[in-house]
Order: sequence, then C-alpha cells, then structure tokens
Amino acid sequence: MTEHVTEKDVRNIAAYVRIGMTDEEVAAMTVDLNNIIDSLKPITEYDLEGVEPTFHPIGGMVNVVRSDNERASFTQEVALENAPKQEDGSFLIPAILGGGE
Amino acid sequence: MNFTSLSAPEIQNGLKQGDFSAAEVAQASIDHIARADEQLHSYLEFTPEAALEAAKAVDAALAAGTFDELGPLAGVPVAFKDNMNMEGTHTTCSSHMLENYVSPYTATCVERVLQAGALPLGKLNMDEFAFGSSTETSYFGPTLNPWDLERVPGGSSGGSAAAVAAGLATVTLGSDTGGSIRQPASFCGVVGVKPTYGVVSRYGVVAFGSSLDQVGPFARTVEDAALALNALVAGGKDRMDCTSQSINTDFTANLGDGVEGMRIGIVPSFMEAEGLDAEVKERIEEAAQKLKDAGAEIIEVELPNAQAAMSAYYVLGPCEAFSNLARFDSVRYGYCVEGCKDLAEQYELSRAGGFGLEARRRIMLGSYLLSSGVYDKYYYPAQQVRTLITQDYTYAYHKVDCILAPVSPRTAFKFGEINDPTSMYLSDMFTISINIAGNGGMSVPVGLGAESGLPIGAQLISPAFRDENMFRVAAELERCYGAAPVAPAFAQVDPAKAGE
Repeated sequence: MTEHVTEKDVRNIAAYVRIGMTDEEVAAMTVDLNNIIDSLKPITEYDLEGVEPTFHPIGGMVNVVRSDNERASFTQEVALENAPKQEDGSFLIPAILGGGE
Repeated sequence: MNFTSLSAPEIQNGLKQGDFSAAEVAQASIDHIARADEQLHSYLEFTPEAALEAAKAVDAALAAGTFDELGPLAGVPVAFKDNMNMEGTHTTCSSHMLENYVSPYTATCVERVLQAGALPLGKLNMDEFAFGSSTETSYFGPTLNPWDLERVPGGSSGGSAAAVAAGLATVTLGSDTGGSIRQPASFCGVVGVKPTYGVVSRYGVVAFGSSLDQVGPFARTVEDAALALNALVAGGKDRMDCTSQSINTDFTANLGDGVEGMRIGIVPSFMEAEGLDAEVKERIEEAAQKLKDAGAEIIEVELPNAQAAMSAYYVLGPCEAFSNLARFDSVRYGYCVEGCKDLAEQYELSRAGGFGLEARRRIMLGSYLLSSGVYDKYYYPAQQVRTLITQDYTYAYHKVDCILAPVSPRTAFKFGEINDPTSMYLSDMFTISINIAGNGGMSVPVGLGAESGLPIGAQLISPAFRDENMFRVAAELERCYGAAPVAPAFAQVDPAKAGE
C-alpha cells in the first residue's frame, strides 16, 4: 500500500475539518484513508487529454436572479428553535478568541 | 380486510366503493407497524396522529363527492426517509448529530406527497447521512431485512425499502446518491426508482452529494411507483431548487404498452463483471429472455468507461459530502458539547461526538481530495471521467431505449459480513455510473436467487428525462414475474379469509 497520507497529515486534516481525534483514531483513520485512496488509483491512470470536465449533470445552468421582493420566511423564534444555546434572540457560543478562562 | 398488501389503486377503489374508510386504512397501518416494527426497526419516528388527520380529510372528500379531485396518492399510507424534513417531526439522518433536531419546515418532496392525499406514517431509518449500503451505520441501530432478519435491508434507504417490503407502508420515499434507492429495493424485493437528476426537487432533503442526490419512490408495484412520481412532479419546477426541472410526463401512461419493438440494451462488461454472483446473473439473463419473448429487441451496448465510475464516485461523493457537512457547527442546530473553553474546541468535540465513523471518514477524505495539489490528481480527472461516462450513455442510447443490468452483484448480506469500507463500496458497482451521468435508473423484482432464496432486482436504466422508458419495461417485467409480494413473515392473514 502506498502511503498517501501520514498520521501527521491526518491530524492536520482533522484540525481543518474541526473533528477532534484521539491518537488511536488518528492511527486507524490513516490506515482507512490510505486504503481508500489506493482504490481511487484508476482515476489517475486515464488518458484525459482534451476531455472537458462535467461539474454538474444539468448543463447550461445560469445564475438565477429573482426580483427583490419581501416574502414570508422563518421568524427569529423559529430560526432559534433548534439552537443548543441561545440568549436574547441570538445564538450563544463560547469565546471565539483566547479561551474563556 | 387486509389493507397492508393492497396497491394504491386497490385502496382507492375500495374507498370509492365504500368498502372501507381512509381512517380504517390508516388505523390498519398503524396497528401493523405497532405489531411488526419492533422487530424490523424500519421507523425512527411514528406519526399516527398525522396519518389519522390526513385520513379525515380523505374521508371528508369521499363524503362530499370530491375524492377524484384529490391527488394520485389519496388515501395511500406513506413514509419518508429520515433525511427529509417534515415540519414538526425529527429529521435525524440517523445521526447522533441531529438526534434532537425538529424540522421547522417541510421538504418539497414530502409536501407534494402530502398534497397528493397520502397518509403520512412517519420517518424511516437509513445509514447515517446516507453513507452506507446496509443501514449498519445508523446511530439508532440497523433495520432488518423482512425476508431474512439476519440480513441487512441494503442502504442507505434501507428503512424505506424494508417498510414497503413488510407492508408497513404502501409507498415510501428514499434518496439515491450512488445506489441508495435501487440497492435496498433489490435486497428487499420491491420497486425502487431513482429518477433522472432534476426530476424531483431536493429542497428540504439533507444534502449528501448535491450533484448526485435524487429523491425517488419505493412501492410494491410499478404503477404505485409511477403514481408517486406523478405526485412528486406535480406542481412543476420547484423555485426552491434551481436544479429541479418542469416535468409534464404521466409516468403511468405507457405501463400497459408492452415492450414490442423496444430496443433494450445489455452491457456485456457488466454481465461478465468479476464479483457478480451466478444467481444474480442468471436472473438478469432470464429477464432479458422474457423481454425478448415479449417482443423487445435485445442489443449489446458497451459503456467502456463505466469501470471508472466507481473511483470517480468515491472522489466526487466525499468531496461534496465534506462541503455539505461543514454546516453542522453545533451552534445553529445539532449536537453540542457544553462547557468548552472556546468555539474551536466546541466545534471539534461536537463534530467528533456527533458524526459516526463513516461520516468522519468521508469528511476527511473529501477534505484531502480537495486540498491543493491533490485536487488536480483526483477531483478534476473525476469530473473529466464524468464527461466520458455521460458520453458513453449518450452513445448507447442512439442504439437502445433502455438498458437492463444487475442492481447489486449479490443478494442481501448478513449483518457484519462486510467490514472494510472499500468492499462495502463495491455493492454500488452497477448503480453509481447512473448518478455520475445523471440519468434515471430503477430496480424491479425478478424473483428469488436460486442459491440464496432471497430477492433479486433487475436494474432498468433510462436516458436522461426519458424515465417513462424504464417504467414501460418495468411494467412488462412485473407482468412476467408478478407484483412484489409482502415478505412472507410479515404478510398478514386477511381476517375475512382466515376461517376458510
């Protein structure tokens, strides 16, 4: 098996996607990802010279613009209904910078 | 009266003739679920009040003589995959992340089914965020296969397939990103339809792969599935989903036409594929022969790039999933670990605790594949391969009106039988090229495997926006093999006939 990603890479990815991982999880994920990436090898071996990419099955889509009219939407109360924590009509979060000691 | 094995038109005829009321239909389903689903675990949330409420409206229309003005699913018991929002119900995606999430709005697909007069029974189990082929990744535990309780129902829409197979709903909705409607339909012996991308609105369905996901119906008969699709396209393009298209097809229109003169393709490289079980191959070849006997012309077509679909899919799917699952931030909704020192820690601990292993795997894989330097090696080529696969289908459809293929290389496997992710991914080998190209595909039962005695589905693949072609062939196969029965262990004895 080719080593596409190291444990260090996996730690970096985990930090980037905001998923905390233990050392054991990092080790297991490194094995899994290397296996999966190995199985993707055929995609790197195709002769794709001059082939245009298809990013979406429905071609010819153009940006959709609508007129700026007022219409019903969620009330503030409904928008907050599923929030784990809220205060004064806002989402409540811990400190963004510097920790909360 | 045994309601749980009736088709939609049988229910509707019974209602019109006054044989029974919609309230009785709803109650029979509610009772059947209460009795049978403890064993099967297809429902995550059960909404008997909503079903009885909808039944009241149907009975009122019957009394007022306005029943015919109701939609194509009037009086029909339905249920929805738990990634579809229905206001006031939980929409968990079978994830710890969304265990307590209550939908503040209703998905367009759900809304249209309700508008069509259906009786909503609840929300159905699935693989977590639709990542899987067995429902084993559900945070709430797996659904069992009604044909053999030691086996998986398939996935990701396993609850939707099992519920229909056990008579716990007449029609259900699922979603299909790489085979998630067709494979469980095959494993559970029911009809499952993945329409062409854009036929059904995705608004309000929790996204997995936005360029691949499509909603479609499960049913025991081809006609019920066609009626459900009619309901889903009624109302035209959904302004809440810019990829949804205006569809004016009546999917029931050609069900009685037969296949005389139709050109049906067989893909030799699929039929000779390594890993295709002999009993599945045998059934597909038999189906081809039956279609030939019914007057269709069977023509070999090649899809030379289809073998690249698998790796293209396992690049594109995780990339899109990584992007879509970034929205679960533990702030606006979803699982939240309390008492964290800062927001970064809250994100990391909540996402670690909220997502299961397969979800974490796909998020991390997608992030890796889209990273600088790696993008050019995998993501961009995968989109180029997508062009080649789409061209393969376009070329094949110059020669044929519909393609016949296996759905899954094998019948339903046992719980825990497939452990490593890459082997699990192989269950989608015949289905994913259709999501990559965006055209329509469906699974229709063609009997039981000679070895396993378990259901086998044949896959019918239509050109894009010609989904009526596959329905026409599916109806012929149904005439050959008979409509899908309720799985024997769950078939109810009709009290009226019990004494005979």
